[in-house]
Amino acid sequence: MTALPSESVGGEEHLRIDSRTAPDRIVIALHGELDLLGAPLLQQEIEQADVDSRGILVLDLQGLEFVDSAGLRVILAAHEHARQHGREFALTKGSEQVRRLLSIAGVDDHLRVIDAPDDVLV
Amino acid sequence: MPEQAAPEREPATSVHPGGDVAMALLLEAGAVLASSLDPSTTMGQVAELTVPRLADLCVIDLLDEDDGIHDVAVAASRPGLAEELERLRLEHPLRRDGEHPVAQVIRSGEPMLLSRMDNALLMSFAQGSRHARFMISHNYRSAMVAPLVARGRTLGALSALRLGDGTPFEQKDLGLATEIAHRAALAIDNARLYSDVQRAERRLQAVLGNLAEAITVIDSSGRTVFANQAAAELLQVPDPQALLDATPGETMARFVVLDEHGRELDLHAMPGRRLFAGESAEPLLVRNIVRSSGEERWIVVRSSPVLDPDSGEMLYVVNVFENITEVKRVQLAESFMSEASRVLVSSLDYGDTLQRVARLAVPTIASWCAVDVLGEHGEIERVAVHHSDPEMVALAQRLSRDYSLSLDEPLGVPEVIRSGEARVYTDIDVDALARYARDDRHLQLLAAIGATAVIIVPMIGADRITGAITLVSSGLDRRLSAEDLPLAERLARRSGTAIENARLYTERSRIAHTLQQALLPGSLPTVPGAEVSARYRAAGELNEVGGDFYDAFQAEDGAWMLVIGDVCGKGSRAAGVTALARHTLRAAALSELAPREMLLMLHRALQAQPADADLCTVCVVRLQENRVTVALAGHPQPLLIDRDGKSRPLGRPGTLLGALDPVDIHEAGEKIAPGQTLLLYTDGVPEARQGNLLLGEDGLCRLAGAAPALSLDGLLDHIEQGALAHAGGNLRDDLALLALRLTEESQ
Repeated sequence: MTALPSESVGGEEHLRIDSRTAPDRIVIALHGELDLLGAPLLQQEIEQADVDSRGILVLDLQGLEFVDSAGLRVILAAHEHARQHGREFALTKGSEQVRRLLSIAGVDDHLRVIDAPDDVLV
Repeated sequence: MPEQAAPEREPATSVHPGGDVAMALLLEAGAVLASSLDPSTTMGQVAELTVPRLADLCVIDLLDEDDGIHDVAVAASRPGLAEELERLRLEHPLRRDGEHPVAQVIRSGEPMLLSRMDNALLMSFAQGSRHARFMISHNYRSAMVAPLVARGRTLGALSALRLGDGTPFEQKDLGLATEIAHRAALAIDNARLYSDVQRAERRLQAVLGNLAEAITVIDSSGRTVFANQAAAELLQVPDPQALLDATPGETMARFVVLDEHGRELDLHAMPGRRLFAGESAEPLLVRNIVRSSGEERWIVVRSSPVLDPDSGEMLYVVNVFENITEVKRVQLAESFMSEASRVLVSSLDYGDTLQRVARLAVPTIASWCAVDVLGEHGEIERVAVHHSDPEMVALAQRLSRDYSLSLDEPLGVPEVIRSGEARVYTDIDVDALARYARDDRHLQLLAAIGATAVIIVPMIGADRITGAITLVSSGLDRRLSAEDLPLAERLARRSGTAIENARLYTERSRIAHTLQQALLPGSLPTVPGAEVSARYRAAGELNEVGGDFYDAFQAEDGAWMLVIGDVCGKGSRAAGVTALARHTLRAAALSELAPREMLLMLHRALQAQPADADLCTVCVVRLQENRVTVALAGHPQPLLIDRDGKSRPLGRPGTLLGALDPVDIHEAGEKIAPGQTLLLYTDGVPEARQGNLLLGEDGLCRLAGAAPALSLDGLLDHIEQGALAHAGGNLRDDLALLALRLTEESQ
């Protein structure tokens, strides 16, 4: 018996989001593709995390293969939101394409990049 | 034993039976024993055969299950003797452990010859005084007792006696008696085995007969040799006997038998037949339609062989039929709906989408599927119709073209659209069609459709009825029934939503397109000594207004400005940002600001916007004579393509605008020579992709390598088509190109 797939646009899962809470932070790990379809899902997840905790917000991009400008917009919105609320924000490096897009957008200097999601922020 | 007294027979022959008599006796005994499997009959006949040719009295005793000995046959030459002996035996049964020769022989399994018996001997094994008197009075003289032995077991004994003055038995008589006894023993053994088998068979029949699974047993000729009640019910005959009476293939002919994919199966594809043909036989899932009623069933047929234990030859095949219709229906409905849902969200072109839904419904759900949509002005438009036979599709198209529906008709699709109520029509006959038909030709076309049942369900959008889906079963296909209504209604609900979405989308993309056009320059300026060209292609589905923009204009100081950018945002707000970006940059250029200051001005303008996180990436190139100045804000570097096709990026990366503060923007200068091409692009080009495979900057440079052979327009077409091809025809993001090439004459 096949399960009914979700009736969301696109049908297939191309962005997977796993959130976990550590004592000092919330880590939101992204896998797959963060684009126009996935961006609202991440937005939702970040809003949820904001309600839950006041610790560091880490976006773990190690499993992220692709990001486009819509995805970037959500990442930057999260960064801006954290800044305004005095909350620390960091991300890990994604795929070549993700790193390249962040570099072209000229935002890599503005964002705190850590090697692993649980690394201490220095 | 016959009740009437047997006629007096000749006394047992006074000479020993010769070879001919012995042979005749054995042959006759063989024939008698083979004629019946009932031991009491055959034993009686064997006893009769020996009298008088071999003996005056013959008794056959058998051991019963409790080790008791009882006579099963007595034959005697003197009338009344047999009956008298039987009465005596009833009153004085032989004991297995007794001294009677029969008991002794049964115990030892060895034949015994008592050639001459005197009274003392007779007295020694008499069961009592009456028995002794009986033997003496009847002149027991000579006796032989042969054991009935089969498969090493002694079943009883055959006794032959001569009375009075007859010739005593000799050793060779004993040989004959032993031979007859041996044959009788085999016959008894066979009969017992047979009755055991019969008992086992009756038990098996009772078990099989009451099983819920339908079971048939087929022999190698294809005949059914066993069927249970469940099989009779499944195969729709009155009783199992009807299956046994049917000729091979006769039962199957009453059904349309299809495999899972709708291909018709013949008898030889059935696992039982495959087994007999020496092939392997996996369980087979069969879709079975009863020809007479159109009822559809899903049946799993499993077959296993019954082999002859000795020869290994295949004697029978046992077929077990499992009716899984209920399970399969639910499963099919779910997989159909999930497939339909997938199809319905995969495109926003509703005509195309519904056409695909119609195709999906055939033949899984119905023989025909048609979709009618209610237009804005109350017109009913048939947007999709499907049947597995293209000729039938053509027929249906003719029908809907020549007899188009109007909303006020009393029956069918118009009535369902008006009322919003589903309708199920079963048992469609000529009269029903005639009532519906508008004229003879209409009736002819309707009849050619061959409908057996019709379901019409309304498609309901957010707040109104958007149309109707018609499902038709025809010919020998599975007949639709009220049971199919829930699935049809689910399909209609889902389709209704899809139509609504498609309508909204069409409307929105019309607005988006109009806006987008307004945001792009109507025409590019003529730049002396240079060619300028641009391309813009909106992503196919999920198009959002906003996105990419470009502009080319002359600044106040006479320099030429090339601008390309990408606004990320949605809908009208993004359109607003795009407009803001273009006009701010133009205004900045008019104020003779350098590219970097132009971008900083736009950044401040964006930050002044109330909404947060409207991103904008921009590349500005200022061209004065043969010198270009490049400033980048979060945008890919433009390419300078040499006359030999080699290209390199210009400018230094800077921060995108509107989101982060402060931004970091740099200017970089470069000389440009005649024949060189300056190419500005948006990230839709390098990010054209299929799966994870991006075109990338490398891919773009490769495409740009064709520049020497191409005009500027040709080059942009080449790059645009290359990116599109790389994306498999399906761009996910907008794509914009703006290029300038210094002409050779300008030197």
